[in-house]
Amino acid sequence: MDVMVVVKESLHARPAAVFVQAVLDSGQAVGIARPGGAAADARSILSVLALDIRSGERVVLSGGSRDVLDRLAGVLA
Amino acid sequence: MVVTAPLTGVAVPLQGVPDPVFAQSLVGPGVAITPVARVQTVLAPIAGRLVKLKPHAFVVQGETGAVLVHLGIDTIQLDGTVSEPIAAEGQLLAAGDPVARWHPELVIEAGLNPVCPVIVLESSSRVVQILAEGPVEAGAPLFSWT
Repeated sequence: MDVMVVVKESLHARPAAVFVQAVLDSGQAVGIARPGGAAADARSILSVLALDIRSGERVVLSGGSRDVLDRLAGVLA
Repeated sequence: MVVTAPLTGVAVPLQGVPDPVFAQSLVGPGVAITPVARVQTVLAPIAGRLVKLKPHAFVVQGETGAVLVHLGIDTIQLDGTVSEPIAAEGQLLAAGDPVARWHPELVIEAGLNPVCPVIVLESSSRVVQILAEGPVEAGAPLFSWT
């Protein structure tokens, strides 16, 4: 299961922390990647910050259930 | 592991940072420094690799954890205008090595808060032991975590 989302706010420290906390709260192992790129562990703020996703970029969330991925996409959109 | 102060100023509890995500330790536990309002050389708070260097923040990843230094609140909007890099992303640093020149006085001029959260990322413990309260010099012990 993959969900693609256009990121509204660049994933710098604060929004990345909010997103990672939402992933941790879901209890699922979710990955985040640029389209076609290697997935980073979305439970790791270090991994998410290292991706350096900018506002307006598309990312792919993977690995979780449909409803969890949709909810996480909503956090980013 | 001891984290040293990346800059000179006044150490304040994270709860005092005017940003709920930092204040509630959602990014991670740590301590903040209200910087002395003059140009400062910002130092690496731990030894390790400079895995991320942005004009408003950087992350040093050491052997037992990573530390984020965020240069002011909402300063992403000033990107590039108030800091100049000294170190390069990917570089290995000793604790206390210079990372960037930064102008907190220009952050204040722009109407933003220059307080700098110094945060442990992905710490297994949610608490740190504070080693400095009040005035702190760049390079002096700030807090430790296990």
